[in-house]
Amino acid sequence: MRDKPLLRVENLKTQFVTENGTVRAVDGISFEVYEGEIVGIVGESGAGKSVASMSLLRLVDNPGEIVAGEITYKGRTIFAAEETEDGDRRLQDGVLSAETVRQEIRGNEIAVIFQDPMESLNPVFTIGGQLREFIELNRDLTGDEARKEAIDMLREVGIPDAEARYDEYPHQFSGGMRQRVLIAMALACQPSLIIADEPTTALDVTVEGQILDLVDELQRKYGTSFIWVTHDMGVVAEICDRVNVMYLGEIVEQAPVDELFYETGHPYTKALLDSMPRPDRTVTDLDPIRGVMPEAIDPPPGCRFHPRCPDAREVCRQVHPEPAEIDRVDGFSHRSACFKRDVFDVGYDESPPLDNLARGESERGQEASEVASGGGASE
Amino acid sequence: MSSDSAQSGDSARTDAHGRPGGDTEAETMVRVDGLKKYFRSSSGLFEGLSFDPSTFPPIHVDREPVKAVDDVSFDIRDGETLGLVGESGCGKSTLGRTILRLLTPTEGNIYYKGSDLAELSGSDLREMRSDIQMIFQDPQSSLDPRMRVGDIIEEPMWAHGMLDAEGREARAKMLLEKVGLDPHHYNRFPHAFSGGQRQRINLARALSVDPDFIVCDEPVSALDVSIQAQVLNTMEELQEEFGLTYLFIAHDLSVIRYISDRVAVMYLGNIVELATKEELFENPSHPYTRALLDSIPVPDPRDSDARGVLEGEVPSPTNPPSGCRFRTRCPKLIAPEAYDLTDREWTDVRAFMRAVDRRTIDAAPAAELREAFFEQGVPGGDAGAIVEEAIELVATDDSAASQRSASARAKWDEAASLLVGSFADQSICARERPAYEVEPEFGDGRHFSACHLHR
Repeated sequence: MRDKPLLRVENLKTQFVTENGTVRAVDGISFEVYEGEIVGIVGESGAGKSVASMSLLRLVDNPGEIVAGEITYKGRTIFAAEETEDGDRRLQDGVLSAETVRQEIRGNEIAVIFQDPMESLNPVFTIGGQLREFIELNRDLTGDEARKEAIDMLREVGIPDAEARYDEYPHQFSGGMRQRVLIAMALACQPSLIIADEPTTALDVTVEGQILDLVDELQRKYGTSFIWVTHDMGVVAEICDRVNVMYLGEIVEQAPVDELFYETGHPYTKALLDSMPRPDRTVTDLDPIRGVMPEAIDPPPGCRFHPRCPDAREVCRQVHPEPAEIDRVDGFSHRSACFKRDVFDVGYDESPPLDNLARGESERGQEASEVASGGGASE
Repeated sequence: MSSDSAQSGDSARTDAHGRPGGDTEAETMVRVDGLKKYFRSSSGLFEGLSFDPSTFPPIHVDREPVKAVDDVSFDIRDGETLGLVGESGCGKSTLGRTILRLLTPTEGNIYYKGSDLAELSGSDLREMRSDIQMIFQDPQSSLDPRMRVGDIIEEPMWAHGMLDAEGREARAKMLLEKVGLDPHHYNRFPHAFSGGQRQRINLARALSVDPDFIVCDEPVSALDVSIQAQVLNTMEELQEEFGLTYLFIAHDLSVIRYISDRVAVMYLGNIVELATKEELFENPSHPYTRALLDSIPVPDPRDSDARGVLEGEVPSPTNPPSGCRFRTRCPKLIAPEAYDLTDREWTDVRAFMRAVDRRTIDAAPAAELREAFFEQGVPGGDAGAIVEEAIELVATDDSAASQRSASARAKWDEAASLLVGSFADQSICARERPAYEVEPEFGDGRHFSACHLHR
């Protein structure tokens, strides 16, 4: 067994109240992050992975709200609430105040790297100035000391001629270099955990390679833990230790990375892997997942993947599967939320197969109804 | 490939049949010959003006164009999918648009079924456009949100005077069905569709005028993987059914590997390698192609191949490197013949030269520099003398305190230009533009590689 986790998330729910109803963007997810590991959150757009990662720092804005769940970090409770019977939420005692989270947790303990480096940097201040301010605010360094530390950090993330580039503006940096600056910023306060939200998605493949190598190297040096949010299974395979696969607001599978690829437990994960063209071998036929991910506003009953699942049976439509441990590898559990596995005793084997998209039901019929109900746009 | 110089339309066509080693079964549909597209920066009144008080007159008008596509030649055969891959800014989209004559080429010829598109204008060009179509990356912004799907698909037919109103509607509905949408969606607006479905509408619109050739500019990069696979499969089915030829532009090598028959790799306005798919991915012969292939994250945690990370950044297309454009970052840059260096010595010298040029190292005493870069000792002869001189310039032995001063900076620049001038600029990679045929290991298609390693 491992020590206590650095971060523990239990039954986290984040919802957005809109005119058309409540969007259950994150709907009861649980996972842990241990010291020194890179945990992936992978899924398609709309799966709720970004909302999940932002909820960890309570960075969800109106109309979004974390309605339930518990987030503990190093024994301190960042968030804990329960849904009361009349649908309201009640904060539990001992939860850190918003003020404390901002001053003591964000940046210092948990830092964030976003996808678009240009949006995260202020275009009218120099790179060095922004980095120095960040260091001055979060650490007991001032003036020249902070400047020196900032230059050291720039050098650390591989920015050539750091001293001269300290005085340059964000637009003078290329995309890859800007992402390095953000990594420098995240590392500057020596946090124990960094949340990286699709940090390499906007970059070219050779630059992405450089950044992944840099993260690998820095992670080994500082022992920082990462939560790596991505849609790219290649990146997952490359750097993650453990992975959470999200579908429509839920974690459907959770496994160490090798298990995920070689002992895949959930049909969605398998479908995702089968629908990817490969760079390392020639695939003659792609097997796409039929249909599109439904709206989180009105998720399908039972297993949320059942309308698109090739293995769906009647029971999948009626009963909602919670992730259960199907295996244990090196002290980590491999959880999957699919009734196919024996650990679930709901009568999957006796249940009749469902006619759904994956079994040749007309895709058009379904799309027509989607469009008619005003949905259909999953972007 | 690039050995084929300018030819008239007709001879280009016959030549494609009779070329040795060429694929003689398929006819050439598009032939691009020596195509250049330069952009002039004329965005402001003082754009291009520079002030230098040390010369007379102190103001210069300097209008160096951006060389987005610079002397590119290749063929696209009837019925094939040619993949065009490269990183952002390499000119692949500009190339695609220039072939369609959405941009006017600066120089060169584009033969489509024998006639030169570069020469066409006005109504001739317009007529030609019903034969060649394009699909754009962003399925959102390429559809007018205020038009109904049916009108969107019918508009090209209307513009080209095809069919009557009834016929157009029937064709639009037929095409909706073909691209995997419901013909009943004819009256809906684009916003009611998901990204993948919108890209299908784009496909239907492109197909409406019954084209033979479609330029697809990153058609699936905005889509999620599962949707991407659906659209790719549909594109393949349509190609089969309508006998289409695709130029498929993408940055994603996995998608390129799936859909292409042949693949061209582009870097900084040039095509550096072109071969059949299997050959290119299994036997890449250009160092840039190799670097690209090495840096893709492979979706397999047991794939432990070390990533060959590419150093440095892409140079500016206004002033690209001479000879081979990749040479400033190439891990295989060839040693200049003037010096008698062993491979190991050249590796050391090259690493030192690039470190000084890019300033990836900090100033240090000479002994430390020697130790860091020349474990086996600084080479002898002329090369060694130059290296020593450069070390002398950047070393901090005598003036440790003045490293921030302007003079230290000037010395560093001097060292960098000395090293680059004596080594990198003397290499064959800098002096000649490479263009070679490589013996293919997979299949019998031609394999073009722009690298002097194959001389």
